[in-house]
Amino acid sequence: MSQPTAPETLGSLTDETPVDPNSKASQEIAGKSPLRIAAGRLLKDKIAMACAFVILFFILIAIFAGVISDFFGVNTDTQSPSQFLDVLNGGMPKPEYGPPNGGFTMDHPFGIAPRSADDNLAYWLYGARTSLMIATGATLFATIVGIVVGLLAGFLGGVVDRVLSFFVDTFLTVPFILAALTIAPILNERFNDSDNYPTIQKFSLVAVLALFGWMGMARLIRGEVLSLREREFVQAARVLGMPTSRILFKELMPNLAAPIIISVSLMLPAFVAAEAGLAFLGIGVTDGASWGRTISFATTYFEQYPLYLWEPLIGVVLLVLSLNLLGDAIRDALDPKTRR
Amino acid sequence: MKRNKPLALVAGVALLSLAACGGGGDDSSSSGSGSDRSFGEQTGGTKDAKRQGPAAEVDGATAGGTVTVYLPGDPGPNSLDPTDGWSVTGNSIQQALTHRSLTQYVRDSETGDPVLVPDLATDLGTANEDYTEWTFTIRDDATWEDGKPVTAEEVAFGMQRSLDADTFPSGPGTEYSKQYFLDGDSYGGPYTDKGKKYDGITVNGQDVTIKMATPFPDMDYWGAFMAMGPAPLGNASKPPNYGQDPLSNGPYMIEDFQPNQELTLVKNEQWDPNSDPGRHQYVDKWVFKFNQDQAKVDQIMLSDNTDSQTAISTALGSDKYTEANDALGDRLVQQTSQCVSTLTPDYTKITDINVRKALAYAYPYEDVWFATGEVPGVTRIPANSVMPPGMAGKKDFQVDGEQITYNPEKAKELLAEAGEEGYEITMVYYEVDPLAVAGQKQITKGFEEAGFKVKAIPVQVSPYDIWLDPDNKTNKQLNLRGVNWCSDWPAGSTMLPPLLKTDAVYNTAQFSEDAIDQKMKDIATLPLDEQGDAWGALDEEIMTDYFPIIPTAFRNDLFVFGSKIGNPTGDGALGAPNYKDVFVMQ
Repeated sequence: MSQPTAPETLGSLTDETPVDPNSKASQEIAGKSPLRIAAGRLLKDKIAMACAFVILFFILIAIFAGVISDFFGVNTDTQSPSQFLDVLNGGMPKPEYGPPNGGFTMDHPFGIAPRSADDNLAYWLYGARTSLMIATGATLFATIVGIVVGLLAGFLGGVVDRVLSFFVDTFLTVPFILAALTIAPILNERFNDSDNYPTIQKFSLVAVLALFGWMGMARLIRGEVLSLREREFVQAARVLGMPTSRILFKELMPNLAAPIIISVSLMLPAFVAAEAGLAFLGIGVTDGASWGRTISFATTYFEQYPLYLWEPLIGVVLLVLSLNLLGDAIRDALDPKTRR
Repeated sequence: MKRNKPLALVAGVALLSLAACGGGGDDSSSSGSGSDRSFGEQTGGTKDAKRQGPAAEVDGATAGGTVTVYLPGDPGPNSLDPTDGWSVTGNSIQQALTHRSLTQYVRDSETGDPVLVPDLATDLGTANEDYTEWTFTIRDDATWEDGKPVTAEEVAFGMQRSLDADTFPSGPGTEYSKQYFLDGDSYGGPYTDKGKKYDGITVNGQDVTIKMATPFPDMDYWGAFMAMGPAPLGNASKPPNYGQDPLSNGPYMIEDFQPNQELTLVKNEQWDPNSDPGRHQYVDKWVFKFNQDQAKVDQIMLSDNTDSQTAISTALGSDKYTEANDALGDRLVQQTSQCVSTLTPDYTKITDINVRKALAYAYPYEDVWFATGEVPGVTRIPANSVMPPGMAGKKDFQVDGEQITYNPEKAKELLAEAGEEGYEITMVYYEVDPLAVAGQKQITKGFEEAGFKVKAIPVQVSPYDIWLDPDNKTNKQLNLRGVNWCSDWPAGSTMLPPLLKTDAVYNTAQFSEDAIDQKMKDIATLPLDEQGDAWGALDEEIMTDYFPIIPTAFRNDLFVFGSKIGNPTGDGALGAPNYKDVFVMQ
């Protein structure tokens, strides 16, 4: 005979109606892992699903930026402004090439940029790619570093914990923007005559973002591990003589899945916004498409040509908002204590 | 004369004022819709040796009021020491308002041309036959702000200071006093060669006599620099402290100076209008605000609120040009500057004239102007040679019979002729400025379409820091540089030698031909009235025979005046607003 459910376990605090353990419904639930339960909840969350679609949309855009631009017949090549722009009208695009003075055209569905005559659609598509690529890259690196540091510090404790925690605290004290501003000219000095300068620039941006983004993850994991390592299953594994690496990755990691997923889903939008912010300040991607860079160009034209500013702005806002809301929804779904 | 902010020059961002000696633009015709704004005829300056104080009244001028001057993107001078002043911003303010010198320019109210008139001297000086000795008689009624008279000894001392190249390394004396004054190369100035007697400048009563090492017919123009003005004797004018609060002798004196931020000038009650043939004292107070944000200033000036009605802006953002042109009418003043933007192919590396010409045909002029935020035909006009329009002797020739424009086919032909298809160009661009990056993209595209290969190196410092440093490892790779140059006075001697003489500092083309160097020397010895034409002929000869430098544009500035500023005009001598004749309408 089973014990009655203790008050602090999953069933009693959720709003799910209690079911008879021997009924059919109960047997369907029986085989589900916590992650599957969470996924089921997430699928029922309308906002989360809407956000997921928006994010999927941007991911597809980022992956197929080239194909989509070809389909519309646009590209990010340098154009000749004198051909497309109107001297007598403050350097705005000529009416036949679209807004603000003419109607939309299929040649340039998003219009063209004043001053440089670049195609807005192509820059918008490739801007999405830059944005997602850098944010994903940075999240990946920051997560891996954060997990490893957090696991080691939490599980090994003692001197290792103190040394690693010191590093975490040190990195937390360095002002991120200041560091990014300092590193840009140093990299330029070293690599400016290299042919791969744009690629190096992107990698360095990922490195800078990751370098100042892993500490939160490390602290979170360390805290979780500290509470887990004294639990019976870990003790049992130790007694059985499992190597530390196996305990870390086979015993502890699965129990850390929830905090890691939550952390990652909130880190992504932060990096998207940080990348755009850095580009707006003129560091980061200087050679190529970037939403933040387009925004910084467009601010001066807001009165005459608002569309030019709205396009990248809507891109950034929509992506960051969707990622944030989805992150929140994932956290709610994974947290058994949430009431909705 | 170079600008305070060479970056902008290089990038081609016309946000600053430049030195100039051309006439004013024909501003009055443009009160209608903007498209018909064009330039008036430019002419060289004239001279009037007999002009005496007080300066002619400006029609309708009233006294009083405070004028605020916004200088977008312009850091302004770091020091106000007259001897150190060689920037357009600093000189245009100080020479018009606070610091007098031997001679000065006034704006002819009818033609808009600058006229060289006496200032502290009673006339424009007298030279001996071969221009190796100049005598200026100093007037006895000029005073300092403390009421003491300006003496001939003080003027002589001020001029001696300009010989101190170690103390004032960026002063204009390093170019002119050191080169032309007797023993200029050996005498280190009153601070470096302390106590040493200098024989080049002698004082006899009110007469100051300057002996020259080589004939210097342009001494009267050089006298219009504030470096050729007085300085208090002894420790009272000891640098560098003197540069923060120099003693004024013009109609205004310095109340407060915060470098790169703000300069406040108030009336100097000791200044006697009868002693000054060029300046007025209509306004009570001047406030100069440096390093302003262009977009913010544009909004202030276009809003026409109470603050902006008595304000002046020394630049206008290109995105606001149409709007400003429609809304402001006469209050948007277009000022020609005697400045030229150039590309300088390295003469030691690109040795074939056809390759240099191919570069000129491959440079997408209008596209670059658009991309860098210029207004083609307004702030930039096509150039044909180094000497800017309006300079005495300027010839209206074209190297290839017609104006060189972007023509990649022609460039390809020239490259094929030289047998250098796919020639690789290495150049730098200023990565920090997005406009410079956009401009570089256009240049790269133009060059590549014309069959060049381009390696553009992004740099984080001013390109001048790279181009002017012979030991810089990036500079050693380059075979295409650039320089933007403004004349110091309307004579070819301030354009051609600084850019094209062997080993001149700003000769970034490394151009060196003995025959040309010799001709530059010879011209200085010609009679004065033949020199202008000689410089013009030399300009044509250099461009036709060697084509060592690619002039990409002559430059113009836009000034915005508030609606209560009377007499909104530009100062053609310095390429700045005409501070001397401006008043506040009451």
